Formats: sequence, structure tokens, C-alpha cells
Amino acid sequence: MTEIKKWLHKLTFSNKSIAPLVVFRILFGIMMFLSTLRFILNGWVYDLYIQPSYFFTYLGFDWVKPFDLYGISLLFGLLLLSTLFIALGFFYRISSIVFFICFTYIELIDKTNYLNHYYFISLVSFLLMFLPANKACSLDAYLGFTSKQEKVQAWSINILKFQMAVVYIFAGLSKLNYDWLIEAQPLRNWLKHQTDLPLIGDLMQYEFTAYLFSWGGALFDLFIVFILINNRFRIYGYAMVIIFHGLTAVMFPIGVFPYVMIVSTLIFFSTDFHKNIVAWIQGRISLKSKTTNKGQINSPILPKRSTGIILSIYISIQLLLPLRYLAYPGDLFWTEQGYRFSWRVMLIEKAGYAQFFVHHPENGMKKRIDNKEYLTPQQEKMMSTQPDMILQFAHHLRDEYSDTVIVEANGVEINIKEPKVTAEVYVSLFNKGSRLFIDPEVNLSKINRGFHHKDWILKNEK
Amino acid sequence: MSDIIRFQTNTRMLKAFFFGIIVLLSFSCKKKGCMDENAVNYDADAEVADNATCTYEPFEKTQMLTNICDNYIIPAYTNFNEKNIALSNSASGFSSNPTVDAFEALKQTWKDALLSWQQVCFLDFGPAAFVILNNQVNIYPVGTDKINNNINLGVYNLDLADNNDAKGYQALDYLLHQPGMTDEDHVTYFMSNANAMTYLTDVIDNINYWSNYILTEWTGSYKDSFKSNSTSESNAQGSSISNLVNGLCYHYESIIRKGKVGLPLGAFNGFSQQEMPDRVECYYHQESLPFLVESINAMNKYINGASYNTGENGLGLDNYMDHVGATQNSNSLSSVINSQIDEIIEKVGQLNDPLSNEIIVNKPAVNEAYSALQQLVPYMKADMMSALGVIVTYQDNDGD
Repeated sequence: MTEIKKWLHKLTFSNKSIAPLVVFRILFGIMMFLSTLRFILNGWVYDLYIQPSYFFTYLGFDWVKPFDLYGISLLFGLLLLSTLFIALGFFYRISSIVFFICFTYIELIDKTNYLNHYYFISLVSFLLMFLPANKACSLDAYLGFTSKQEKVQAWSINILKFQMAVVYIFAGLSKLNYDWLIEAQPLRNWLKHQTDLPLIGDLMQYEFTAYLFSWGGALFDLFIVFILINNRFRIYGYAMVIIFHGLTAVMFPIGVFPYVMIVSTLIFFSTDFHKNIVAWIQGRISLKSKTTNKGQINSPILPKRSTGIILSIYISIQLLLPLRYLAYPGDLFWTEQGYRFSWRVMLIEKAGYAQFFVHHPENGMKKRIDNKEYLTPQQEKMMSTQPDMILQFAHHLRDEYSDTVIVEANGVEINIKEPKVTAEVYVSLFNKGSRLFIDPEVNLSKINRGFHHKDWILKNEK
Repeated sequence: MSDIIRFQTNTRMLKAFFFGIIVLLSFSCKKKGCMDENAVNYDADAEVADNATCTYEPFEKTQMLTNICDNYIIPAYTNFNEKNIALSNSASGFSSNPTVDAFEALKQTWKDALLSWQQVCFLDFGPAAFVILNNQVNIYPVGTDKINNNINLGVYNLDLADNNDAKGYQALDYLLHQPGMTDEDHVTYFMSNANAMTYLTDVIDNINYWSNYILTEWTGSYKDSFKSNSTSESNAQGSSISNLVNGLCYHYESIIRKGKVGLPLGAFNGFSQQEMPDRVECYYHQESLPFLVESINAMNKYINGASYNTGENGLGLDNYMDHVGATQNSNSLSSVINSQIDEIIEKVGQLNDPLSNEIIVNKPAVNEAYSALQQLVPYMKADMMSALGVIVTYQDNDGD
């Protein structure tokens, strides 16, 4: 017991060179700058936050709104500026807080746009707010805004490694299922579209390739962290990181995620490796700091005990959140209860089609809803396969039609107090053919949002 | 010491035991083999599926795109343009010599041209989507007041979007089939009203402008970019396959299913679902069904990669769906889509023109036809789109 305690204490409070943290800060800042710039240049600010008239908010975050064009532009402007400041280490603390708030706020606007790698970035920027990543090789240190130091407490580097490990290992664990391992789904379907890839395209006609990629991907995710923390095998591990993420970047439209991972995994490299990078940077710009090098860690703001408690809370949440799906009955891929925030990447191929009906509660009249009047194509696509979004949209329709008097073209007056909302939804999982997804009779307007089991989802009849 | 030896012997025995089991399993009496019929090495005698050994013909997307482009799209647009030139010729024939015969010839060429539009309407991507060709040539209900107003004023700009419902085939539908007027009446009307005659030829010239535009775009630069533009990132947005499938699904769902039948039937008319007879295509001609049937039949050809001119089967979306092994209720998706199209044709075949009357006097039959049309939507939007790996819009995704 004391051995473990000692080990944990060393992992948390021993003194380590600040170099890995500094390099991580600079690279993270640059990656986020490029990624934000790409997002803006692609016109996605308008497409995702201005064009839609309705947004699928997260439970408890219904107050998050995209503002207007100016508001959202301001958010993105601040975001872009903060990435540069983070890279430069300029007003670092404020910048990292601004980045975390802006980025997370933007992500919370609409769950249509949920991506695991956005969640990853939110978590990392959350951590960065608390890390002394500007204590060296930064404008803050150069200008004397902060004291300079060469050593940091080990937890500030190890928590980032832990975060990376959580991503990979949970991604690996989530691949240990029947569809992925035995059916090689969904890669089996996806690879068939790839026969025209240069060089490796010819491999895609073999079913074996799908199994190779599935099993290889699962093994990679499960074990890459253990290879990367090993001094001897690290360089091979990193080669695998580059090959694996490079391949996914070529084959799938997953944006900057592969590059973020290729850069972030450098955190596992040795202190000397990072010191060399820092020395190289300092050599190039030959900054003479105005402050003298203290070499010592400032007396920590928090006592060790509190640091330990806060870290263990964070770690426990990270370990438990991806497992919450176990609390729900039914097929996870079909119901997607507890699917998000769990590092499930590229696991399912799902498509759907939803026709909503608003019913007059008394006279049996019903109106067909054209989703396009309310949702963008991307929102409609995401909503059609995810029960919580189906429910949200049904509630939106309920609110639109509650307590309304509609005089229709033929003079009929429709007077609705509490409309009934139903939906006929067809979903196809792994290209096995579309089938009814939810109970078409159930009145969705009466069902509460929440984390309880959605018993109105039909079974996936195989 | 001896304990360790014993332990090692035990592990060795255990290993041998597992090895034995694996060997037994792999040589079990049932014949293993690839049991997927779409595979090259499909083994009809196999009893145990060992599908990891399956090998497939690589699917040549560029070959399919080339086939669809050269054997369907270009010939169909060529025909579309020719039919509009014929329409234009008969219009000038009529305006220089306004007889009943010339008028009837004009009506016939109008019908032929509108039928040729049904064969290309669902190519709703690329140049056609860029100019929203559908709105330029075939918007309805037609704005009769706007047309009469334009004619009376004699001053109008058909390029304005505001005039979209005062031009195109449906404006001609009205002008050539004005209620309560015989052919002779129409001839007299156009002879005595120079503005109307000018308007008629202007509308036809406008259609001609667009049919020529679309053909020139396709035979020019777009053809080659269409054939080659299959990005390697699956069939992401911007790739030809994504464009083609998105255009097809959108047009079928909104313009054919909803526009041609759903709207007039009242399926989208609020709570009362009151029929809207004046929403049918060619309301004044009182014949809508041939145009609906033509669009469905043409779509069928297009999906199956058939040649426009000969009907000969080539590499199409059906083969692509088969290639990825897409199924629906354990039938192949391509066959399910094809039989659904057959059912649509069968149900529509039981209806009688004028459709504007049929939706009132024979509503159950129209409802059935609409249901058949409706059922094709999830097959295309959910099943086909996902089978072909088509992404609705191009944003980053997790790949789910």
C-alpha cells in the first residue's frame, strides 16, 4: 500500500523539467490557431451557428445560444486571438481561460456538431488553465509578467499524459465488440469505397483488409500508450502513431483530429527531447529574459492534499463517464444512450429518416412536418438517428404548436392547446436495412428529457 | 525447485491443449468458405461462413460515373435541348402562320419537351443546382395573373426570380390550354394579341436559353470534372457521387413525391389536409400522370446505370449498392429499390387523369400511390445514402 502511495506521490509531486509542458503549450496553441482558422475559412461559422433556426442544446445548457452574427464572430475572434496568445505564452492564464470558455461555449450550442476531438480539446484547454505552462519560453516570462521556473510538479505533465491515455484506451475498449471484431463493421463497408485510393487502394477489395484494419486499430488504441511511455520502444510507437493517424486522415473526412493527435502524443517523449526543442526555440529568437531564473518551484498555491483530491476527482470522472452506458439496457449502437463523451470514434455506420406528425389532441387531425423548415441537412441527418435529438425536436414542435389557433386556407379553424407529437423514424445500422426506430404511436410531447432509459426506442430486430 | 518444473510442465500442457483445440476447430468437418454471393470467390458448397477470406472486384467509381455521364446524362440533356429547339421551331411556325394545325403542332412539341425535362429533372446538382434549373423551367402553380399582367404591359424581365412562376413549361401549359377556350379560340387569341404572341415566344426562348446553357456546361468543362471528381475521403461532399445522390434524393423527395402528388393530395396541407387540385403539374392541360410516370421511369434507368438511348444496362448505383452488400430485410437494397419503383408505377397506373379531379373522386387510390412514393424515401435517404457512404454535408465527423 505504501509502495503505491509512494508511486502516486512521485507521479504527482516530484519535480520535473518544465520543457514538455512548454512544448505542449506552443504546439497546442499553433494547432488550435490553424484549426480555428480553417473552421472560419470554410464558412462553418455561418453554416453551423447563424443559418440554423433551431439548436439542439445539451440537457442543462439550454441557456447557451449562438447570439447573432456579431456575437458569434466576436467569440471566434477571441478564440483565434487566444490561440496565438497561448502559443506565445502571452497573458497565458487569461488566454487559456478565454480559450476554454469560448471553445466550450461554441461546442455547447448544438450537439449536432459533437465530435470526440472537440470534447478532447475542451478537456485539454480546461487542464491548461491550471498548468504553469508559461513559466518558461514565453512572453510572460520574458516580459516579467510571471516568474520563470525550470521545474514543475510532475502532475502538471502527467495529467496531460493521463488524458491522452484515456482517449486511446477507451477508444480501444469500445472497439472490443462483436460488430467491430467479428463482422469488421463498419470498416468493411467503408473500405469498399476506397478501392481507388492511390497505392493501397488495391488492398481494399479483400475482406481481409477490413479485419486487418479493425483488429489493428483496436490493438493500436489499446496499447499505443504503453508503447509510448516505454523509453526503448517509444520511437517505434510514434512511427505507428504517424502511420495510423495518417491513414485515417487520408481515408476519412475527420478534419484536423489526426494531426492534433500526432502532435499531442509528443508529450510522451523524454524530457531531453523537449529540452532540445526549447533550446532550439530559444536559440532562434535568443531571448534574454528580464527576470532571473529561479530554478525553484514557487510555493504552490494549493497544499498537496487539495491538489491530490482535485486530481483524483477529475481522474475518477474521466474514468467513469465513458462507462455510464452500462447503466442502460439495450444495444448501445442502436439506442446511443451514454454514447457521447466516451471516445467512441468511427464505430458505427448509421443513417435515418424521420417523419414527424403534429396531432390535434381531440379531433384526430394531424399535420405532416417538413423537417427542412426547421433544420439544416446536417441537423436533420444527426437528429434522425439519435433518440435524444428526436425527442428535443418533438418538443420544439410541441412548443411551436401549443396554444395556437391556425386558420387554414380552406377556412377551417384549428385550435390547439396541447398538441400530440409522434414520429415515424426509420434507421439503418451497418447497412443492414432501415427499420422502425421508435414507437410510432408514442406521444413524444409528453415524454421528459433526461438521463432515464428511453423505453420508447424499439428493439433492433436483427 | 521441483514446483517450478511442475508449473512449467503444466503450462506447456495447457498450451498444447489450446493448440490442439485450435487445430481441431480449423479442420472441423464442415466446409468453410466465403459465403457472400457478391464476392469473387463465392463458394456455393461452403457450410460455414469464413467471410474473412472473401475477395471482391474493386468497384471502379470513375467507370460508373463515366457510364452515367456518357450514356445517360449527356444524351438526356442533348435530347432535352433538341426537344426545346423543336418547341422553338414550332413556335416560330405558329407565329408566322397561326393556324389550328400549327397550334396543335405547338402543343405536341410542348408536351414532348416537358417529357424530356422529366428525364433530366433529377440531375439536380452541378450546373443545374447552381442556377436552380427547376425553378427556371418548371415551377407550379403558375402565376396566371402575373402572366396576364406581363402580357398586358408588354414589358417584363423573365430573368427576374419573381417571374419564375410566369415562365417555363407551366406558363405554356396555361397559355396553350386556357380554360374554356377551344384551339380556334387560342389561335384567334394569339392572332389578335401581339403581346401574347411575343410573350409565348419569349417564354420559349427563355427555356431554350436554359436547355442550351445546361448542355453547354455539361459537354464543356463539367463533364470531365464529374467523371474524375471522386475524392479519396470516401464520398465526401463535393465528390461526384455525393452530388449525384444528394441531388437525386432531394429532387425525388421534394419535387417528385411532394410536388407532383403530395401537395395536390393535401398531404402537406396543414391539419385539415384539404386537397389542392390546382397544385398539380399541367393543371390546365388536365393531364399530369404521363409526366409523373416519365420522371419515375427515367429515374429508374438512371439509378440502374442504363443507357438513355438503348436502355442497355451498365454500371450504375445499383451495382455500387450490390458491391457494398447493402441489404434491406435480407434482400439486396438494389432489388428492394427496383421493386418499390415497380410498385409506384403500378399504383400510379391505376389512376386516371385529370389528377386534379382524381384526388377528389378517387382519393384512396391516390393515397395508395402516394404511400408507394413515400416508401421509397427512406430506402433512398437512409439506406442508399448510407450504403454509398454519402455524407450529407461536408463537415468534420467522427465517422458515425
